[in-house]
Amino acid sequence: MITLTLKERTAVPLEAESLSPDVTANLSCDAVRALPVLLGKHPYRVDEFFDVEGEAGDELAIRGDAGNVKWIGRGMTRGKIAVEGNAGMHLGAYMKGGTIEVSANASDWVGAEMSGGSIHIHGNAGGQIGAGYRGSPKGMTGGTVIVDGAAGLEVGMRMRRGIIVVRGPVRDFAGLQMKGGSIFLLGGAELRTGAWMIRGTIVTLKEVPLLPTFAHDYDGNPVFMRLMARHLQALGISIPCEPHEGTYQCHSGDSAVPGRGEILVWRPVG
Amino acid sequence: MLRITGGKVYDPANGIDGVVKDISIADGRIVAAVDGGRVIDARGMIVFPGGVDIHTHVAGAALNFARAMTPENHRQATAFLHTPERRAGLGGQTPTTFATGYLYAGMGYTTVVEAAVPILSAKHTHEELRDTPIVDKGCCVLMANNEIVLDLLEAGEIERAKEVVAWLIWAAKGYGVKAVNPGGVTAWKWGKDAKTLSEPVVGYSNVTPAKIIASLAHIVDQLGLPHPLHLHCNNLGVPGNVATTLETMKVLEGNRAHMAHLQFHSYGGADWHTMRSEAAAIAEYFNAHPNLTCDAGAILFGNAVTITADGPWQHLLHQLTGKKWGNLDVENETGCGIVPYTYKGSNLVNAVQWAVGLELLLLIDDPWRVFLTTDHPNGACFWRYPEIIHLLMHADVRRERVKKLPAKAQSRTTLGDLDREYSLLDIATITSAGPARALGLANKGRLGIGADADLAIYNEKPDGELLFRYPRYVIKGGEIVVEEGEIRKMSEGREFIVQPTYDGAIEEYLRPLFQQYYTMSFENYPVELERLEGADVRQLDGHG
Amino acid sequence: MGGKVTCTLGEIKNRADFIVYWGGNPAECHPRHFTKYTLTQKGKFVPNGRKDRTMVLVDIRETPSARAADIFLQIKPGKDFEILTTLRALVKGHRVNEASVAETGLSIEQLRDLADRMKQARFGVIFFGMGLSMTRGKHMNSAAVLMLAAELNAFTKFVTMPMRGHGNVTGSDMVMRWSTGYPFGVSLCRGYPRFNPGEFSTVDLLVRGDVDAALVLGADPGATMPQPGIDHLARIPTIVLDPKVTHTSRLARVHITTAATGISAPGTVYRMDEIPLPLRPALVSPYPTDEEVIRRIREAVAKKPAWAQRPAAMAPTN
Repeated sequence: MITLTLKERTAVPLEAESLSPDVTANLSCDAVRALPVLLGKHPYRVDEFFDVEGEAGDELAIRGDAGNVKWIGRGMTRGKIAVEGNAGMHLGAYMKGGTIEVSANASDWVGAEMSGGSIHIHGNAGGQIGAGYRGSPKGMTGGTVIVDGAAGLEVGMRMRRGIIVVRGPVRDFAGLQMKGGSIFLLGGAELRTGAWMIRGTIVTLKEVPLLPTFAHDYDGNPVFMRLMARHLQALGISIPCEPHEGTYQCHSGDSAVPGRGEILVWRPVG
Repeated sequence: MLRITGGKVYDPANGIDGVVKDISIADGRIVAAVDGGRVIDARGMIVFPGGVDIHTHVAGAALNFARAMTPENHRQATAFLHTPERRAGLGGQTPTTFATGYLYAGMGYTTVVEAAVPILSAKHTHEELRDTPIVDKGCCVLMANNEIVLDLLEAGEIERAKEVVAWLIWAAKGYGVKAVNPGGVTAWKWGKDAKTLSEPVVGYSNVTPAKIIASLAHIVDQLGLPHPLHLHCNNLGVPGNVATTLETMKVLEGNRAHMAHLQFHSYGGADWHTMRSEAAAIAEYFNAHPNLTCDAGAILFGNAVTITADGPWQHLLHQLTGKKWGNLDVENETGCGIVPYTYKGSNLVNAVQWAVGLELLLLIDDPWRVFLTTDHPNGACFWRYPEIIHLLMHADVRRERVKKLPAKAQSRTTLGDLDREYSLLDIATITSAGPARALGLANKGRLGIGADADLAIYNEKPDGELLFRYPRYVIKGGEIVVEEGEIRKMSEGREFIVQPTYDGAIEEYLRPLFQQYYTMSFENYPVELERLEGADVRQLDGHG
Repeated sequence: MGGKVTCTLGEIKNRADFIVYWGGNPAECHPRHFTKYTLTQKGKFVPNGRKDRTMVLVDIRETPSARAADIFLQIKPGKDFEILTTLRALVKGHRVNEASVAETGLSIEQLRDLADRMKQARFGVIFFGMGLSMTRGKHMNSAAVLMLAAELNAFTKFVTMPMRGHGNVTGSDMVMRWSTGYPFGVSLCRGYPRFNPGEFSTVDLLVRGDVDAALVLGADPGATMPQPGIDHLARIPTIVLDPKVTHTSRLARVHITTAATGISAPGTVYRMDEIPLPLRPALVSPYPTDEEVIRRIREAVAKKPAWAQRPAAMAPTN
């Protein structure tokens, strides 16, 4: 495992897509030290900002406040990155496989346009988790993102497949223009959840305001929720699904598109 | 001063077909001999006149609209890094202006014609062309839906219409006259189209598309413009449009005309399921009528962005594909629509379109009358021309590709039966000599004494790469702008402009109309000549 | 999804019989809009001018523009996106939840009436202002107008246009597009253009403190930005080019006084419909033009060594 310890938080963001197991796996420690990163418009070596230790392998640990370090794990296909602290924008964007774990907070665009692998943020995340970049027809097409804390705007924007779980509250436009996949909002959401969604499923355990273009479809405990709950259980997330606990109120929309997405709002018994 | 020695020269205008000869250059021109200066050893290389693109969309309001609409394309585009010699930019489907210059030059092209310029926003087009380095440029000005012109045709005032057209060309600082979907764009302003040539255009009783086409072709010839009417026919892209296109060509008898992107106008069938190639019927008529030239408007599979003044077609395409749609109607003059599009080999319609473009290039006998284009960025990006050249030169490669098309598509085209293979001289003709002649640019597209020293030099046997993709050297105006695949010098190109003769009194006729219909003062409408860099004005004395 | 359906202002003058202003107050903010382009002008196909046109104003309060309107629809703050999305459904005949419509401040009948009028218009237009585009929902509010207008073209002719102001913001947008491919929010740090509003847009860069110098041209962010952004401008070396003293120039390290464009400096301005107009100065200024100052700064910078020494390291691959 290679361990990179940030010497100090930089004044302007550092762009560091070379911090990925695909790049470092077969490199010596010295070669990792010489990898390029960009501070503003200037290229530098990794070791001008990080203390680098350890041996080559599929694992990478990043320590220190990397809240200003962008593009960690960009497009990675394998291995593991453990960020012990914060991570900057675009963490795991375009990721295809492997795992990323962040002990504190992450910024915007976590797992943007990812197609596989898993990301776990123990703190809060920014907006546009698993989203498509501006103008792109689709966001994430596979993989899993779990956020233990809160998240920002446009979570899962235009996602096509995959799973996003946010334990804390999210802000506006969760599941915006969603095309498929599942978003689980354990802490509810602010406004405009599921706006313009075409397909896909948003499950919320707290009441959320719904757009007028969503219609109440049915109340119940659909079978697929039971399957989902079992799948999520394996990831350490428990979702209620038994009739004795409550029911899901299912709304379909967004009829403005028109779309056939679903928003399931949990109604506990009593 | 520069001398190129030992290369095989292909100069169709002078009947030189692969003859090893030296070319000398001084003061931006080709001369008989020079004394001293740099010598390029071109042994093992072929020497071509610099490419001339007769129909492309590289600058102006519509293209700039498309750029803003497609950030997802830019992210995948070739990045041009800022260097001390070169500006930053992006390639891709709608390259930035600086990148456009680098990409054209980097392919051996040295002259390009922006094919659709609204007069109202022509200042914008010229600002972009000024930021398009290296290549020489010209503009075709949109006229076939100009309501002041159409109103005059309605009233039967053809003489005054001619004065107005002349004034408008100079106001826009244009080089030629473009007609797009005559009458159809005007109709689109009410959400309608012009589907037949003989029915009056929406809002008019005497004006039909046929009348617009015939009148403009006549006016262009009367004014003595170096380039004939540049025509985008009605019913672009629609199955069965072969009938409209043939009828259009009949309307043009007695006048010159350039038929733009003919591929999009050569379809049979009644709908998308029965669509088939009618390239043979078009080529047969075309071969027998020397008053016409055309460009292919070929498509290649992959991503494209369709941009055309043909608003109704773009709305249809948006509805068919569900892709993004941009539309920009320009008061009293024209409009434009934008829809990003992906051509797929597995799609019946796209497969037929792909075949039609190549069929036209192979079935039209005279390479001096059919030119290589993709209607960039509509059919494919201009930087993919070498792929089409490769197909034209190799019948076996074509047949292999045809076999991969859906079976239904194979039965709708004769491409697999065509044995013709283009020679290098033919390629020099369709990419340079022919379009230069059709544009009336006497110093372009040839390598004789006195011609502009615009040349592209390629390896005769490129190593594992398509011929024509990476020139060894590109020389523009006597300067080496590309060397060993790198942009070496960012020179500025010229802009070709024509100044037709008109009676100054026409302004007194236009001014009140203008105040009534437009939202800009009459004085602000014309493009100031000072706005252009490297303006090359040709005054025309033809006046009826 | 995405795109924009629009036209030049003369099309509206000559054709529009149904004009909606949404989240804007043209009577006070664009005082000549009604008389030059939209309401009172007699157009080629609306020969009776105001009589041939219907105007709707949608806003959260009754501004002076309401007096000009035939129909004023007062909506609750922050409900623009909900209303526009509902209209998209109604226009296409899809069902909506009438109970939650009531929360927007408009009744379902009012929305149905508006949807019907839009579809029955011969040529309709929606102008939208900062009351829409800069309130909660921001770019998605704008997107909702763009989508609604585009979809109305299945029934009739319909276009939309943002009511832009603030000097030559459209011109900047145009030049950025042709030189970088993107309209705003562009970073050239890697030697080629990248785009990500929210990451590279000026306000976000300043609020997060992601830049260590600023050059301000033709704008006064010191008056309009959120306080953390203003604080950052004061912290870093900020250079302002402006003919007059502004909020930003007061906190800037350097203020270069320039000639006022359009008054004593020539140039080109792009209208809100992206049509360029030449500016012809009426006066002579003792100060240099913005262009002249920038050119001289560039010449000085060009004498320094190039910064992109290792271009191979710069371009990431997807």
